[in-house]
Amino acid sequence: MLWRLIRTEQMKLKRSPVWLAFLLMPVVPAALGTLNYLNNLELLQSAWYSLWTQHTLFTCYFFLPVMIGVYCSYTMRQEQNHHNWNKVLTMPVSRGMVLVAKLVCVSGMILLSEVWIGVLFVLSGKLAGLAAPIPFAELTTWCLMGTLGGMVMASIQLVISLFFKSFALPVGISLVGGISGLVFLAKDLGHVWPYSLMAYGMNSNAPQQMLESGSVPFVITCVIYLALFVGIGSWILSKRDVS
Amino acid sequence: MIRLMRCEFYKTRRRYLVLTALAITAVGLVWATYGDYDGPSGAFLLENGWMSFLYQLPLLNAIFYPLLSMVIASRLADVEHKGGALKQLCAMEEKGRLYDAKLLYGLAIVLLSVILGWAGLIVFGLFRGFGGTLPMGLYLLFLLFTLLPTIAVYLIQHTISLCVKNQAVAFFTGIIGTFAGLFSMFLPQFPLLRRCLPWGYYGTLQFVGLFGWTKETRYDQAYFAIMEMDWPFFCVLVIASVLLYLAGRWLFCRKEC
Repeated sequence: MLWRLIRTEQMKLKRSPVWLAFLLMPVVPAALGTLNYLNNLELLQSAWYSLWTQHTLFTCYFFLPVMIGVYCSYTMRQEQNHHNWNKVLTMPVSRGMVLVAKLVCVSGMILLSEVWIGVLFVLSGKLAGLAAPIPFAELTTWCLMGTLGGMVMASIQLVISLFFKSFALPVGISLVGGISGLVFLAKDLGHVWPYSLMAYGMNSNAPQQMLESGSVPFVITCVIYLALFVGIGSWILSKRDVS
Repeated sequence: MIRLMRCEFYKTRRRYLVLTALAITAVGLVWATYGDYDGPSGAFLLENGWMSFLYQLPLLNAIFYPLLSMVIASRLADVEHKGGALKQLCAMEEKGRLYDAKLLYGLAIVLLSVILGWAGLIVFGLFRGFGGTLPMGLYLLFLLFTLLPTIAVYLIQHTISLCVKNQAVAFFTGIIGTFAGLFSMFLPQFPLLRRCLPWGYYGTLQFVGLFGWTKETRYDQAYFAIMEMDWPFFCVLVIASVLLYLAGRWLFCRKEC
């Protein structure tokens, strides 16, 4: 059933230009972050690791959270327009699964963005003339953990978009959430605050940070948050009046 | 026009539009005023607090005000798109006047937030006991240099939000623009980059620089100084804003509702 719901969600998003933004957005930090890296070589001496911070610092705190907020608002908007919730909630499918299908679609987009960020990172590093070997293992971990952290953020945003019918308000909340993530990271609480998890997972401000602590506690935290927010969302949907 | 703006007010009543703007401004203000004033560099920050704000805030403004503009412009346009109300409205009122009324109403909220944020900084500085007297002239100039890029960015967001039904398009344009504008501030070697982007003008019009800071000596020999103000490009932005307004109004008037 879930697979069919996912396909339905994908059909709803077909021909939507939204994916283009996920493709274009990482190009900006890749180009300008690399230029900034090349201009500050005397300060940024950790080669690939320094380049990674330049590529991902602002992306994780402001722009990817807002992009996820927009994408979640957009997927929920499909139902809020033209009373589509009436149709969706009267279909013979589990209401919780509808939310999970939406989450899977958003997560797929986050994963694609992370892969694209990784590809641009390697290309930029090569163009910048970095001689050290590419840290493929770390890069894969950063991208996968970033996706997991982003999924947590997406699950919250989907729940928020369930509450607010407005398109813009959840996006504003995602911006504030991204900034709150920065504060929690600064206070060394990045591993527990849901809006910090993506930046923490991507190791955007200290590329060696999570490698030392291991990724298992991080994955467990993400899974708990995912279960919690999907549970809350499913409960809201199950109580929601078809109106 | 007053009648149209009153309609905008009624349409957005109980939609927490002003509250949203104030919340985003408040978050920006909290971030701007957060500093280690009791730490090792606290004495320097307190002594040079007024100039430090003028140096640091364009960066924060380049993040917060474009995003605030996105949210407000989108909410105002979305009210019409969602209910399919543009068709009715355009049958009753001249399209250009509708564009103007929405622009004035949204811009008033955004600019009010900018002014409140600016006033909040001054109150914080006075309360925290920053050294020296408040350089009011520089702060008024800073306000002007914040308001103008915000107007230009709002004009872009307003036009896209009104002309394209899918609000995700307006948001993504804004996010990518904000991102490019923010990064352009870290690349002073390429001044043309920030001058080409309306989102980069928070950096173009920055007029206070930090000199003498090094990783080793940190703030020991550091000082703030007023740099040359980029008046030619201030004029460019004024002209660009007028052109953006005219182009946006023209596009909206041509659009099939």
